[in-house]
Amino acid sequence: MRVDLLIPGLPAKADHFLFGICSLLLLRDETRTVLFDTGPFRVRQTLLGALKAHGLTPDSIDTVFVTHLHWDHVENLDLFPKAEILVPRSEFDYAAAIRPGDWGTPPFVREILADMRVTLLEDKEQDLFPGVRTLTLPGHSIGLQGLVVEAEGERLVLASDGLWSARDAVRGVPDVAFFDRLQGQQSLDKALAAGTIFYPGHDRPFRFDGGRVTYLTQYDFDLRFSFQPYGQDLTTSISTRGAAAEA
Amino acid sequence: MAAEITLLFSGLPASADKFAFGMTTVALLRVEGRIVVFDTGPYAYRPILLNRLRRLGVEPAEVDTVILSHLHWDSASNADIFSKADIVVHERELAYAGAPDSRDRSVPGYIGRAIRKLRLKTVSGETELAPGLRILELPGHTPGSIGLLSEDVLLAGDAVTCAKDAVAKTPSAFCVDPAQAARSLTRALEARIVYPGHDRPFFVGPPVAYVSDYTLRIRLFFDPAGQDEELRFGGAAAKSFATWPDD
Repeated sequence: MRVDLLIPGLPAKADHFLFGICSLLLLRDETRTVLFDTGPFRVRQTLLGALKAHGLTPDSIDTVFVTHLHWDHVENLDLFPKAEILVPRSEFDYAAAIRPGDWGTPPFVREILADMRVTLLEDKEQDLFPGVRTLTLPGHSIGLQGLVVEAEGERLVLASDGLWSARDAVRGVPDVAFFDRLQGQQSLDKALAAGTIFYPGHDRPFRFDGGRVTYLTQYDFDLRFSFQPYGQDLTTSISTRGAAAEA
Repeated sequence: MAAEITLLFSGLPASADKFAFGMTTVALLRVEGRIVVFDTGPYAYRPILLNRLRRLGVEPAEVDTVILSHLHWDSASNADIFSKADIVVHERELAYAGAPDSRDRSVPGYIGRAIRKLRLKTVSGETELAPGLRILELPGHTPGSIGLLSEDVLLAGDAVTCAKDAVAKTPSAFCVDPAQAARSLTRALEARIVYPGHDRPFFVGPPVAYVSDYTLRIRLFFDPAGQDEELRFGGAAAKSFATWPDD
């Protein structure tokens, strides 16, 4: 299957809110159009625009693969009422009885999934489509699953938050193993051994070779703040291009 | 007795090309021994909201009343944490959430369904919540938008999104009914102090003047082996020449 990046994950945090911008991917072959994760609500319009740029509408998506049921991966599921929604069974079961203090999974996520065409994935590694195999990566959440895709002679590891950012690869330690740190470490090790090109949950795709990260794409965000009621707006941008030029 | 108002989250008039900030004002009011929360923000606030409540010594279950100005994703996504509260919504808004205007992309279907499972208390007109604390109908942004007037201080929701709109006397955000929204804005600006949906509280004046300062910090990294970048965005209130430069 061919893998296209719809939205690159952003390794950003803020003091007043969580960004939650995770990597959204499109997997296609002659018979299927699969969306990998759906992102937080804040990227809803960007997701629709990215689909459109690929000649797609939400109705063209026949399958949505949901890596885990954290808020920032599920808030746009409702855009795909016709699709088959693939969800790890342990995530689905857990969402009905969330551990106290775990705010990652919305208590209303089962409400989001109500009336959707949900297919539960057992907690094991299996071939899902030709050249696409599931990868169990628990630790960040109870039953996160990623995918390994064989494409153009490479193994692409679509790790979602089993590999939060390229920094996890560099340090060899998971930064955000909320649910179970030991499992999170094992899952990170497993993800890094599973291929050559990595799509992290909240960072750009990268090649990882001899401990060195080479990012495969850039991003730019233009920001605007209306801080002055009588004056000009402040505009600025967050861009990887300057950083790449310096390096 | 005037309500004591504490800002849990200051709104921010920020926008970006590839994501929505959705930084909504959330306020806590104490009046005659009762605790009232006005709006709950986007899901992206959740752990920070829980922390800020804890720091104020408020258990979510102690909150008596939650008022949702309207049912957009960035206002109504955390109502469920207040397990013992009456959730106040205008009946027109509840009906609207089930069948939103097709141009309004901010009301996912699951929000209304999730809200209906809570301890709802719908209102159909303007009512006195406590002495000196009154719910105002401010429709236009959405059909059932409401605000909360505490004497001459108005928590406006998105009937007033930012101070800039108060200067322009025109709503800048998407409005289901622009004419109605313009009337609601005019009415909202009869207050002395307005807490807008997406900006800091301000004196209506003239001139429009912010009550307090603001900073937003964003941390991210471009180089996984390097340091975090920290961006700081400030909206300092107008300073007086009389005190400069000592402040």
